Amino acid sequence: MGRIVYAAAMSHVLYPDYYGENVGPHGRKMVEELIEVVRDMGRTLAAAAPDALVVVADDHLNVFSFDAVPALCVRVGRSVSRMVQDDAIEFDRALDGLPERYPVHEGLANAILEQGLQAGFDFAASWSAPLDHAFLSPVSTLYGDRPVPPLVPFWVNCFVAPQPTAQRCFAAGRHIARVVADGPWKVAVIATGGLSHFPELSLARVGQSDPVFDRRAVTLMEAGDHAALAALTAKELHDTGSHELLNWLVLLGAVSPARARVRFFGEMGRIDLAALEWDVA
Amino acid sequence: MSRYDTNVILYRLKKDPAFRDRFRSDPSTALAGTDLTEEERQAFMRWDVPRLNELGGMLHLLLSIPGLGH
Repeated sequence: MGRIVYAAAMSHVLYPDYYGENVGPHGRKMVEELIEVVRDMGRTLAAAAPDALVVVADDHLNVFSFDAVPALCVRVGRSVSRMVQDDAIEFDRALDGLPERYPVHEGLANAILEQGLQAGFDFAASWSAPLDHAFLSPVSTLYGDRPVPPLVPFWVNCFVAPQPTAQRCFAAGRHIARVVADGPWKVAVIATGGLSHFPELSLARVGQSDPVFDRRAVTLMEAGDHAALAALTAKELHDTGSHELLNWLVLLGAVSPARARVRFFGEMGRIDLAALEWDVA
Repeated sequence: MSRYDTNVILYRLKKDPAFRDRFRSDPSTALAGTDLTEEERQAFMRWDVPRLNELGGMLHLLLSIPGLGH
């Protein structure tokens, strides 16, 4: 019988130069502090020795063009490549120098996909989508020079309206938990992104976050009040710039009813940064 | 508002270096044949990023097109 051996969520632009350029020295310092915490979390993750690592993250219109935007997508196949962006600017540069290919855990990916369709989740499947910083910045920070276990990348459409609901993302996480429990593998699950930034996806509001909303969300995770989080509306997420919380909702579904421990919380101004772990062992 | 066409062009500007070069050197020709409103076309021609965002252009694309700042 399988089980989830490690679960965490964290902000995913773990790139000091980006915040140094766009926020200044205090932004650089804050993300450097977060990176140290994530590296320490990586030691716990590596010690749990998962057979597979499910990474729940979003696409920043790097992979899925407007031709088709899946609400929820499972990456299947044997391996997955790093996104390549010529003349990359800003957060896309966080990918420079990382390995070009990573293994995919075919068995778990196929099980999540196939059992999902049987259970009424119309997941999209991709055999070719590459990974951008939302996946690889946390994975590379967690693992450093250690070998990365086979991945199961899982995309949530966080940005192109209409997005899946928080409730649906939570339900998808419950599905992942059932698949893991029924399978033979030890599985780690991480979700990435956030906290609040880019409210309303409006250029005029770049530079604003919503610390009140973020403190409330984190407090609900510490309390294990998943019903309140799953009840968040698309308008609340959009207005506060909490679009990427949808990734975290999938993780919450996977670990529910576990409560979170806050490893890092920082209010930067442009974004609020966080890293949380859940006691699942 | 042709939100789809606006974002398809922004996506191509990010991902297609040849199209990006054509747009930089002659935006009018690069945009020929696209299904944009006149207002959207003018925003592209001026490279008016705030206006393109107001017209439905996705923020993450507008912030990450190489060589075309905001």
